[in-house]
Amino acid sequence: MAQLILNGVVTGLIVALPAIALSLTFAILKFPNFAIGAMLTFAAYIAWALNTLAGVPLVAAAALTLVLFPAVTLICDSGVFRPLRNRGPITLMVASMGLSFVLENVCRLVFGNDARNFDIPLSRPLRYAGLRINYEQIVAAGVAVAALILVYLILLRSPLGRAMRAVADNPDLAAARGIDDGRVIKATWILAGVLIAASSVLVGMDRAIDPQMGWNYIIVCFAAAVVGGMGSPAGAVVGALGMGIIGELATLVVDPNYRAGVAFLAIALVLLIRPHGLFGRREIKK
Amino acid sequence: MIGYLTTILALVSIAALIAFALNVQWGMCGMVNFGLAGFVALGAYVTALITLQGWGTIPAVAAAVVACAVMGALVSLISVRLSEDYLAIVTLGFGEVIRLVTLNEAWLTGGAMGLPGIPRPLIDVIGDDQYETFYLVGCIAVVACVFAVLEITTRAPFGRALRAVRDDDLVASSLGKDVLILRIKAFALGGAITGLAGAMQAFQFSYIDPSQFTPIMTAYAFMAVIAGGRGSHRGLILGACSIMFLLEATRFLKDVIDVLDNAQIAAIRLILIGAGLIALLIYRPQGLIPEYRMRAPAGPRGGGDPAPDARRTGADTAKETTHPDYQMTPSPKE
Repeated sequence: MAQLILNGVVTGLIVALPAIALSLTFAILKFPNFAIGAMLTFAAYIAWALNTLAGVPLVAAAALTLVLFPAVTLICDSGVFRPLRNRGPITLMVASMGLSFVLENVCRLVFGNDARNFDIPLSRPLRYAGLRINYEQIVAAGVAVAALILVYLILLRSPLGRAMRAVADNPDLAAARGIDDGRVIKATWILAGVLIAASSVLVGMDRAIDPQMGWNYIIVCFAAAVVGGMGSPAGAVVGALGMGIIGELATLVVDPNYRAGVAFLAIALVLLIRPHGLFGRREIKK
Repeated sequence: MIGYLTTILALVSIAALIAFALNVQWGMCGMVNFGLAGFVALGAYVTALITLQGWGTIPAVAAAVVACAVMGALVSLISVRLSEDYLAIVTLGFGEVIRLVTLNEAWLTGGAMGLPGIPRPLIDVIGDDQYETFYLVGCIAVVACVFAVLEITTRAPFGRALRAVRDDDLVASSLGKDVLILRIKAFALGGAITGLAGAMQAFQFSYIDPSQFTPIMTAYAFMAVIAGGRGSHRGLILGACSIMFLLEATRFLKDVIDVLDNAQIAAIRLILIGAGLIALLIYRPQGLIPEYRMRAPAGPRGGGDPAPDARRTGADTAKETTHPDYQMTPSPKE
């Protein structure tokens, strides 16, 4: 039981990063980004190629991915989302699905369907108070917590974060106050890119990298964001932790293959009972 | 070659049906369904399981249609009070759940091995020789029927109400339309059509397994609906056919460039679908044939795309107001 909760917390921390990215893009750009799974896959392949093909040590490869991948999200934005900016959420979300096919299959075309692993030595799990703790889990938890603190500082303590929250709250008012929303949108994609890249490396350390990997996380990611209330980054973190723990505990009753099913149930329940998530605000539709 | 063509055409008609379903849900009512493949799989598995029990074709297809319609209603019910974004997430989750069930519940669905030996309708009467042709004719007849029903529905008050909900649900509800019920009905209607498509898929190869119901099925339907013009059933058939033939053409890429293996060809195909989807959304959102409107604009362009038309008439009136003669004529309002 304690072991499951521990695993759940670590999984939750890893999922929290893309869930925040999802929430941020939803808050600023007002559409759910269905390409988030494929973006995760793409970032993981960048890190893998640097690590195994170019022979860069994993830490350096991860750092490089953190720098390189935001460039990819910016290209996606200028190529796909910017031309569609004012077309409403439905068009944007269908476009993001299209983007997800492109990204995923570029990986498949270049690297094939085989599952890949980072070049890291296998290590014996640590034992502490009857719990098995993998070295990867410690790294994942550390990196995720660091990233969460960073995001918190950026959003709540920096002028950029203030501008982002202003645009999320009321784009017209923000524009009237002289906030350049183009710059804010770029910053959002860069931040989302960094978060996705970080979690992709953590996911890749935890499991194998294959073109399908994004699909395994997309439902859980959306579940975290919906449970926390779409558009609320803090809610996404709580949602992700909750989904991680529930997902692990659910393996006691259902087959582990049904993790996405549990996440779907959570989405359905939250939408039925508390449609705006546990922490979301009720928004008045225009 | 004839055999290849009949198979392709049968697949096109299944794909066209799926696209019809999406057109009802998304094109007419503005509700995105990312779980289409899951609905089709549900229809196919229901059909397969019932026919394998020894029941006839008609009860099996009816059960598939009903199951998918009910499921569509339930899925839309979860998020029908919220904005469309949430429904998209729910449908994506639903599709994933269906995929997991078909993969993991081997006692019911055969798991990854699938269900073989699904009896094809009327095969005893027709015989093996002519069966493919007969089946193709049957598929086309089904598509034609669905097309006719949808064309009538579109022009009926129901279709107009759906489009009103899509364009502005607040206006629709203040005009006394029950938005909730309309959305659920549209989603159930779409679901029913996916059930039909699923049944046809099950009979097509008389074998189904989870790998037949991948996101590519969903992507293909979106592509066909966008290419054909959202809300336009006629355009959609055109879109479905042209895209299927374009994609089938990529099969022959292998003969030209032999460095590529099958997996890579499949990847290229999906990249084309994704990129094409985005390009159409950016450059030709109204599709090839715009949807039916109550009053088609008169004039030589008859039925041209609405956006440039609107802009042009705007420019014309602007010009006319500055015209001296025009100022003399009293406007109809006065």
